[in-house]
Amino acid sequence: MNKILTLAITAAAVLTNTFAADVRSAIESPDAKKILKKDYLGPAKKYTMPAGCISNDPDAIARGKFIFHNLNGGAAEGHFPKGLAKKLPNGEVKQYGNCVACHNIEDAQGGGNIGPDLTNYKAYFMDTNTRDNAWVYQKIADPRIDNENTHMTINLTTGLFTETEICEMTSYIVSEKK
Amino acid sequence: MKKTLILLAASAALAFGGEQFSMSDADRAMYAEMLESNPAEMFVAGGADLLEEHCGGDAGLAKFLDVSEEKLPEYIAGFPRYVKKLEGVVALDQVLQALMAQNKQKPFALKSAEMFAMSAYAKSIANDVEINIDVTANAPMKKAYALGKEVYETKRGGRGLACLSCHSSDVIGSILRTQPLPDLGDAESNSGGTWPAYRMTKSSLTTIQKRFQGCMQNALLAVIPLGSEEMVALEVYITNLGKGNAIAIPGLKR
Ligand code: HEC
Ligand code: HEC
Repeated sequence: MNKILTLAITAAAVLTNTFAADVRSAIESPDAKKILKKDYLGPAKKYTMPAGCISNDPDAIARGKFIFHNLNGGAAEGHFPKGLAKKLPNGEVKQYGNCVACHNIEDAQGGGNIGPDLTNYKAYFMDTNTRDNAWVYQKIADPRIDNENTHMTINLTTGLFTETEICEMTSYIVSEKK
Repeated sequence: MKKTLILLAASAALAFGGEQFSMSDADRAMYAEMLESNPAEMFVAGGADLLEEHCGGDAGLAKFLDVSEEKLPEYIAGFPRYVKKLEGVVALDQVLQALMAQNKQKPFALKSAEMFAMSAYAKSIANDVEINIDVTANAPMKKAYALGKEVYETKRGGRGLACLSCHSSDVIGSILRTQPLPDLGDAESNSGGTWPAYRMTKSSLTTIQKRFQGCMQNALLAVIPLGSEEMVALEVYITNLGKGNAIAIPGLKR
């Protein structure tokens, strides 16, 4: 009698467990940990601006300007500057800076205001010695060095841009605009 | 009366937006018209039929969740929540998958139009009830909340951005490429209480987790899958931001 009862209770327990397991396994709950782990950034990185980084070459400035104002190669607009690729070496569409999403600047179309207005940057920030080239370079490369909780994009530590491209953007921002 | 009020609030918000925002006059007119009759109402009605057919309707759902039909709206207003028989913190669409499985049916995929419609209806059972998610109710909820906060705040992806980069209190209302940044927890965006919602730009009904994926994609964060522990945790975190707002399904979004 006792045995039968135990048996019945065990059977019921097994049944409920299988029920839970079955129903639970019917729920979609895929793993995201691997995707996230690969996507996380390393710590903030301090960079040394390469020699000859800041340039007056109109083509370099034009490339910096283009990267600043555009989002990607597919939908990129305006005159396409010499020496800038639309695709990455692996064939993927190249992403540009989309800096105007957050910043206003000369000629910006639909400039945002999450970041400071970079209009007249040379007169306001460079000529007054408030900023220097290396500071601007570092800000674009990895702004976390200057502000741990920044809302600004990280552009060199993420590998989205090369040193040269960061130099071109910096050259554009600090240049005199016509 | 209520609709007119919402309409007034919405047009005030849009008027504040002004010329520079991407809603043109034509968009605004369409938005106003859709507020009068949200195209997603049709999908939600379809969702009610699906729930009836596959899950035994409101009564079947209440039974599965071990609550009375009378208490069901209140209970639904607390999702995502810990459900003991499912051994974890789950979103409402996942409950529906389990319920379909119990009824010996192949559950709708989380990304299917059927699931969007059925879960929209299921959540609408709680319409007008205040969001009552309790992120301290038990250990699994505390854990999900902490994970959601971490995923929300951690910078990642091609541009090194986190959800927080664009949704923290110090940038709300600033303009990102012609879009004002919404306050996910305020009564106007009410992210926790208005999804599934109709997205005018996508002409379809979609879920909050799909909306998260949209932001991830736009901001170059690797897109994580619907239903993953981290996605549910994000839903917990964001729903909690709007605790106390009334649920109003289906929402209407740009
Ligand atoms: C998601 C928003 C966002 C985007 C996109 C963005 N920025 Fe910023 N940027 C900011 C914020 C916010 C600051 C303010 C400083 C801080 O918090 O780090 C800033 C600061 C700066 C500064 C320093 C200005 C100064 O002198 O104080 C420069 C230069 C700059 N950004 C350049 C860029 C460039 C170049 C890009 C594109 C590659 C870019 N930003 C993209 C948000 C953004
Ligand atoms: C680069 C900026 C940016 C980032 C990063 C970002 N968002 Fe957004 N998010 C926006 C903008 C802009 C909108 C409003 C767009 C619109 O009106 O269509 C928005 C809208 C939303 C909404 C809809 C609000 C509503 O009306 O209910 C949700 C939910 C949301 N974001 C969640 C997230 C989550 C979760 C993440 C991180 C995984 C994230 N966002 C990352 C810019 C961003």
